[in-house]
Amino acid sequence: MPVKKRALPKKSVSFSDDETLTKSRRSGDKNHSQIHDGPPIYVKRTIKTVPVHLLALLYYYIKLSHNFDAVTLLYMLIPLQLAYLTLQFNANTVYGHKILRLRMSLIPISLGAALVLTVPCMLIIILLGAPIAMLLRETWILSAHYCVLGLPAIYSIFKCNFKVGIFKKYFIAVAVGCWISCVMIPLDWDRDWQNWPTPLIMGAYVGAFVGYSIGSYI
Amino acid sequence: MSSIDVSDERKVKKRILNSSIEDKRLHWSRLHRFKTTHRLYIYLMGSLAILQLIAIAFFSKGFLLTRSVLENVATEAHVEPKFDKCVILIIDALRFDFTIPVDPHEVGYNPNHHNNLEVFNTHRDSDSSLLLKFIADPPTTTLQRLKGLATGSLPTFIDAGSNFDGSVIDEDNFIKQMFLRNKTIYFAGDDTWDALFNPFLSPLSKPFESLNVWDLDTVDNGVMNYFEEHLFNQNSSSGDWDILIGHMLGIDHVGHKYGPNHFTMKEKQVQANEFIEKIRNQIDEDTLLLVMSDHGMDHTGNHGGDSKSELEAALWLYSKKPNMWNHLSPSHYNTSFLGENYRDVNQIDLVSTLSLLLGLPISFNNLGWPIEEIATTAEEAKLFHEITLNQIKRYKEVSQVITNLDKEEHLQELWAKALINTSAASEYQRYFLESCKDLWARFDYWSIGTGMFLLASSLVLLIIITKLIPSIVIGQMVSEFVPTITIMTLVSNVCFNGIFHVLHQPLFLENWFWCSLFATGVGIIVGCFLTIFDRYTTAWICRKFVEDLSDYWSRIAALFITLHAVLFTSNSFTIWEDKIVSFLLATLGMLTLYEFVFLPKRRLTTALLAAAMGEKKTSLQKKQPLDTESSPLGKFARLVGGYHSIVLIVCTRLSSMITICREEQGEFCTPTFTTANNYSYWCLLLCLIVIAFLPSCFKGYYNICSSYQAAAPIWIGQFLRWVLLTNFAYWTICAMENTIPDWSWDLKILKLTISRIVAGFSLIAANVGWMMGPLCLKLNIHNNDVRSQQATILGYANVYGSQFFLLVINFFMCIMLFNKPLAQISLFLMCNQLLSILEIFDLLKLKENLIGPVSMGLLAYQQFFSTGHQATIPAVQWDVGFVLTERITFPFTHLGIVMNTFGPHIIVALSVALLTLWRQPPTVLKPQTLLARVVSNCGMLLIYNTVLCLSSFVWVTHFRRHLMVWKIFCPRFMLASLSLIVLQVIITLITIAFASGRLIRQINNLFWT
Repeated sequence: MPVKKRALPKKSVSFSDDETLTKSRRSGDKNHSQIHDGPPIYVKRTIKTVPVHLLALLYYYIKLSHNFDAVTLLYMLIPLQLAYLTLQFNANTVYGHKILRLRMSLIPISLGAALVLTVPCMLIIILLGAPIAMLLRETWILSAHYCVLGLPAIYSIFKCNFKVGIFKKYFIAVAVGCWISCVMIPLDWDRDWQNWPTPLIMGAYVGAFVGYSIGSYI
Repeated sequence: MSSIDVSDERKVKKRILNSSIEDKRLHWSRLHRFKTTHRLYIYLMGSLAILQLIAIAFFSKGFLLTRSVLENVATEAHVEPKFDKCVILIIDALRFDFTIPVDPHEVGYNPNHHNNLEVFNTHRDSDSSLLLKFIADPPTTTLQRLKGLATGSLPTFIDAGSNFDGSVIDEDNFIKQMFLRNKTIYFAGDDTWDALFNPFLSPLSKPFESLNVWDLDTVDNGVMNYFEEHLFNQNSSSGDWDILIGHMLGIDHVGHKYGPNHFTMKEKQVQANEFIEKIRNQIDEDTLLLVMSDHGMDHTGNHGGDSKSELEAALWLYSKKPNMWNHLSPSHYNTSFLGENYRDVNQIDLVSTLSLLLGLPISFNNLGWPIEEIATTAEEAKLFHEITLNQIKRYKEVSQVITNLDKEEHLQELWAKALINTSAASEYQRYFLESCKDLWARFDYWSIGTGMFLLASSLVLLIIITKLIPSIVIGQMVSEFVPTITIMTLVSNVCFNGIFHVLHQPLFLENWFWCSLFATGVGIIVGCFLTIFDRYTTAWICRKFVEDLSDYWSRIAALFITLHAVLFTSNSFTIWEDKIVSFLLATLGMLTLYEFVFLPKRRLTTALLAAAMGEKKTSLQKKQPLDTESSPLGKFARLVGGYHSIVLIVCTRLSSMITICREEQGEFCTPTFTTANNYSYWCLLLCLIVIAFLPSCFKGYYNICSSYQAAAPIWIGQFLRWVLLTNFAYWTICAMENTIPDWSWDLKILKLTISRIVAGFSLIAANVGWMMGPLCLKLNIHNNDVRSQQATILGYANVYGSQFFLLVINFFMCIMLFNKPLAQISLFLMCNQLLSILEIFDLLKLKENLIGPVSMGLLAYQQFFSTGHQATIPAVQWDVGFVLTERITFPFTHLGIVMNTFGPHIIVALSVALLTLWRQPPTVLKPQTLLARVVSNCGMLLIYNTVLCLSSFVWVTHFRRHLMVWKIFCPRFMLASLSLIVLQVIITLITIAFASGRLIRQINNLFWT
């Protein structure tokens, strides 16, 4: 909830999630911190936020889907993520002592934001070593998965007017999942699930599962 | 320019410092103390470097089996040939039990690979047929085995001979002997033969690609068609050849692809059976048919190691003349239990056997003994034994391989015995062979263990001395370290040499030289530990170690080191190291970018920690600036930091596109570092752009703290620019010679002149110039009124860094000369990465953190790969050895290759000191503190590389019988060792001894307080 506002006419935003830092930083400047120490926004610590559907999708992807079809998986992921957001994630997110209902108008906005975010996401993946000219479609699908996995967090960020950094960790969890799963690519096992970007998608799902399950405890 | 500097110095001194005599004396005594400490530091780091060198020497001695190759050729033959012609068919990976009849009830029987090759057993009685178990010497890889089969010797990893690339065999061998006797040799099959014996084979030979193990048929069909054409086809002049050789790979490839239990194995064996039968029918009485395999296969179908099933191959000698072989009693040929007790011969016995049968001289370096069965009478046996014995004796005398006195004596005894009784002659051969195996074919585990132990100890010492003990304490402790190390080294030398001289123990040390090395290593270790435990306890050290790893960035650094070291546990990771390293470096860029964008809290704690730890002693006035600096980064600083992070990431990604792929990366990698690309117009154009941009880039980085003054414009704007331009001219000429087909001008002289000018200037003249102390400072008096005692010094904030970087530029200019155009572009990117890393860690106040040197180490490796190198021997760019000279001349050729291969490592080893010195204003830290911090950062870079080296030691030993050990793990171990040596030399001699001391002294003279 540390919300930082400078003495500039333009509003600036920090996603810094640490209280002590902001407090120590603001110690000489108490007015600001008081004004913007808004009501606490947090995700309840409950097992209700465990995203079971991600495990199901992962099972489908590994065992059932034909040839690791990431596009079908993406189509399945979007509605399930929306359902998860409505029923589990939003239902357990507390905005200033109360739980708000889902605002429908924000859903297309956050979907659109996810779509826009795929571009910088793809750029980052390429900068980290994905092929530049080849396999662009696959890379885009990977970043689409990444962004849709972050959809609940994106929605919540919109919902609280970008003022809170606590949702950052969900993105980090998915990214860490992807990062670790890169281990699989160089192994010379010649399995078809080692093809780009299958292991990263799996890693992203596992990362998202872990992130959404224990995110509120961190 | 130096005169300007001197006058500047005086002005600075006069204007800024109002010095009293007391101050002066204080200053001089401090400087004197610094000089002493500096000398002791060099000694301390030098002894650690020596320790590591000794460790590497011991490990290499134990692991790298070497053998010197003699080029002598045997000339005299004393026997009449029994056969005029010979057909040799090599069936790769034909294990011995495939060839004998196996009872279906026996354990291990499998119809897919047993009892399919009946040809070896059906002609037992009618003609002369002899089937033997044929024992290979490890490593059971085709190349090594072919060498062994042809020379009768024991090939090692490094057959040090005249030609480096290890293609054509240097040693005397039976193929060469046949060739020298004007025999025509036709060959078809595995292209390894073409590589090894190319000059001796007939031009009509047909080698086939052998690496694709998924292809079961191409080579075999090729061999069969070739035999069809030259052997079976009656119409053609089948008398063209004297020796016909075929090498089939089908069974080997089935083994690799499916394993021996697959039904495809049966198909292949039946096919081979028919083929051999057909050859058997075709040959006449004067032709010897030899069917053999070079190695077996294990239960998975692979080979390379030394398990029983891999070593047991088969040898079949066949002739249509009756009674050619004098069989021993039938109990020797017992085929029960999968032929467990069947008579065996060594593969090296083939050369002497074949030479005697065909009337050739036995190859000069043969170690084998003729197979007993080929001698039909006792006289013949005696003759054969005599011939072989004389050949072996001659080899022993010329080669001088036996240096051990006991062995020499024993051999003399056996020789005397053999002269009396020739049946005892094989004793002599056996003992000599065993002695040679000890020398060439057995890993010396004692030496390997010693090497690992010494390196591990040096790692612990480096960690304790450079990281755990606070740098300020080390500054006081060096005066204790040095005498203790000296005394302990002397003592242990005396002890060990005494024991070795009297008792000849420990045995693995061989002679006084290795004994002294071992004693010196032990002495250094004991000396260091004595001094350390004099002050600290193990518990304290452990606690400090955990404490040091308690902050976020140190943990990231530890994670990177661990990940990099763990790569060597698997061949796949080692193969893809280039991509993985650039992935890690880009990750680091992402992390710093995240840091600048989101500003999490930890930064503050680290900075406070560093500030609190660094100078407990050095007073309050330092705390002030540090505290103000460690407040959250301002908006501008964050912007700049973000920009540098992005530069780091983008440059890493761009340079990682330049790659020379390793063979094992296969279809997943497209090589961009090719001759065509290197000498293409677009590449030269890019080089030209680099020349234009690089000085401006440097200028930009210098201008950040306005230190582009005085010497900097001369160095960067003039020297660098002109050297790069000359260098460009050199490479343009090379490109022209390469791309223009009818290039007729001989520009050799011009090229040599240019390259020598560039190298001489950058390595000698520029460094001498640097020793004069080029300052990047300017006094700006204009903004003050004349009477005022105040003046602005431009470049004050970066007075250390700006000057030190000029030295890096000197080496950079030289390294550019020895790199091909694409690599030059990569090095250009490296400079940007390097300076961005410096700026980033300066902004984050992580100058003392582990992450700085670790990221530099990563950068060195990433650039090693992107300047067109790989951790393989063929990837070494030998051709740059001829930049300075036309033929191999000792220092110049080697200098070129080292500068080319380890260029990035050298740059990094120099600039690791910049982590401390970059943006370090004078008069903040005492000279000793500064030096201690430089040493600490250098130590961290060494720790990183030592961990890599140690890991490669451990894993290459673990995988010593792995199929890929000589292709993947061993070259990687050699790279790790060599880069550690290069880093040690550069860091100890140049960074610490030469540059840091000089620089710190000079600046402190200038700004003495």
